[in-house]
Amino acid sequence: MPGQPLLEVRDLSKRFAMRGGREPSPWIIQDLSFSVADGEFLTIIGPSGAGKTTLLNVIAQIDTASGGEVRYQSEVAPLGDAKALNPGLSCRIGYVTQEDNLLPWRTTIENVLFPLNVQRRLNPETRARAEMLIRTVGLAGFEHHYPHELSGGMRKRASLIRTLAYDPPIILMDEPFGALDAQTRLHLQEDLLRLWNLGRKTIVFVTHDIAEAIALGDRTLVLSRTPSRIAGEHVITIPRPRDIRGLMSHPEFGATYERIRAQVQ
Amino acid sequence: MSLDFALILAAIVVLLVLIAIWQTLSMTLGAYWVGSPWGVLTRFTAGILDGELLRNASYTAAEAALGFLLGALPAAALPFALRRLPIATAILDPFMVGGYGAPKLALAPLFILWFGIGIESKIALVAVTVFFIVYFSALAGVRALDARLVRMAQVVGASERDVARHIVFPGAVPYIFTGLRIAMPYSIGGAVIAELISANRGLGYLVQLGAMNFDTTGIFVALVATTLIVFLGNWSVNAAERRLLRWRPPADLTVETGT
Repeated sequence: MPGQPLLEVRDLSKRFAMRGGREPSPWIIQDLSFSVADGEFLTIIGPSGAGKTTLLNVIAQIDTASGGEVRYQSEVAPLGDAKALNPGLSCRIGYVTQEDNLLPWRTTIENVLFPLNVQRRLNPETRARAEMLIRTVGLAGFEHHYPHELSGGMRKRASLIRTLAYDPPIILMDEPFGALDAQTRLHLQEDLLRLWNLGRKTIVFVTHDIAEAIALGDRTLVLSRTPSRIAGEHVITIPRPRDIRGLMSHPEFGATYERIRAQVQ
Repeated sequence: MSLDFALILAAIVVLLVLIAIWQTLSMTLGAYWVGSPWGVLTRFTAGILDGELLRNASYTAAEAALGFLLGALPAAALPFALRRLPIATAILDPFMVGGYGAPKLALAPLFILWFGIGIESKIALVAVTVFFIVYFSALAGVRALDARLVRMAQVVGASERDVARHIVFPGAVPYIFTGLRIAMPYSIGGAVIAELISANRGLGYLVQLGAMNFDTTGIFVALVATTLIVFLGNWSVNAAERRLLRWRPPADLTVETGT
């Protein structure tokens, strides 16, 4: 296990206000606690509708919590008041959402540089890094294409490196490869591991695919059905660098898969 | 044969059919009631050559263009200014709906009383007509804002100003252009109608003059010139739109190409 906790979620609870706030909804998340170490690749797996996206939204501070706290290093974020939220925690938490959310009026390179642009951090060094990332994921030659001219997989890659380009210490990923075909998804998983090996970012990666959770993570948390709680924790000891294509035949893979599957209802 | 070429050819065929119907009407009813296409063409050419038609046409075009800008610019800007003020928007709304619905033609005599029979009253009428059309288009554009893009921008550190500049504005531009395209013919129509009521220059004045002299050919010449200005205006708006909206998928571009 590398380092001390970088991010800590403590007793987090969440429910939405329904019918104009007069009636509370059932709990989506209840008393959820876990921590993420610096440089760790944490995968979180749970059934559809387990509140995985809600959890990431709360951590990224684009949604409020009904109780509990999220700590970044030792800093506690106020999560109760929507107006006091600080989305992205001053650029320290990156968020790769399910949809690519590329700006349709910007080309690939302009989209990748967008965060650096608004952070006033665009200089030859950061630009060179962004261009390196574009080449690494095979988007060279498509820098000046608009999103509608790219395939689904290419858009996903652009969206991924848009977050990597400004280098936030923590990156949240919400089923980023969910909508892709199996082949493209495999390519992107390989890309992601390669990129992660370059910088060893702290990543919280949410998925509903058990094989993906094992293939990518140092550790996998299993969420229960709503209200979400931690139903299990599994340390993945398959050595890195991992060969995703040959992973199924790794002796540890089958056993871990079965243990996780038993916990995912 | 390419699709564009086929479309142009078909348009020419339709034009010829229309001219043939026009010619038939002119021959059966008499050139006194319906000026003949040939007569119109001759007068049109003569009007261009002696500068008379061109002078009146450019007068009308100038009224339309100035009124268009004067109406469209504040109309496009206002919804952005009101974006963070939902209460102000709600207070303004009934007045905007009223202004949009009021028949602008009825305003023409009022504007002539206020601003005289010169260019000012025409510009005012055009500006008012264009303003309400573009305002509601721009408002729809600002309201169609994709909240997911805004959240993405906030997470990566965009300020409120960045969001307005990089997300809200580019997202609303296609809507603004829809408004501009609808407003363009109204701006020329508005100028001509204001001239019809009272003017001593412009294409509307030529129509009025033709009517007083029982000169249907003269009226037709002025109408053809008006139509040509509308074409020119549409072409300008479309050219600007194509330039500014290169990022859109081809299917979203103007329907005219049919692709």
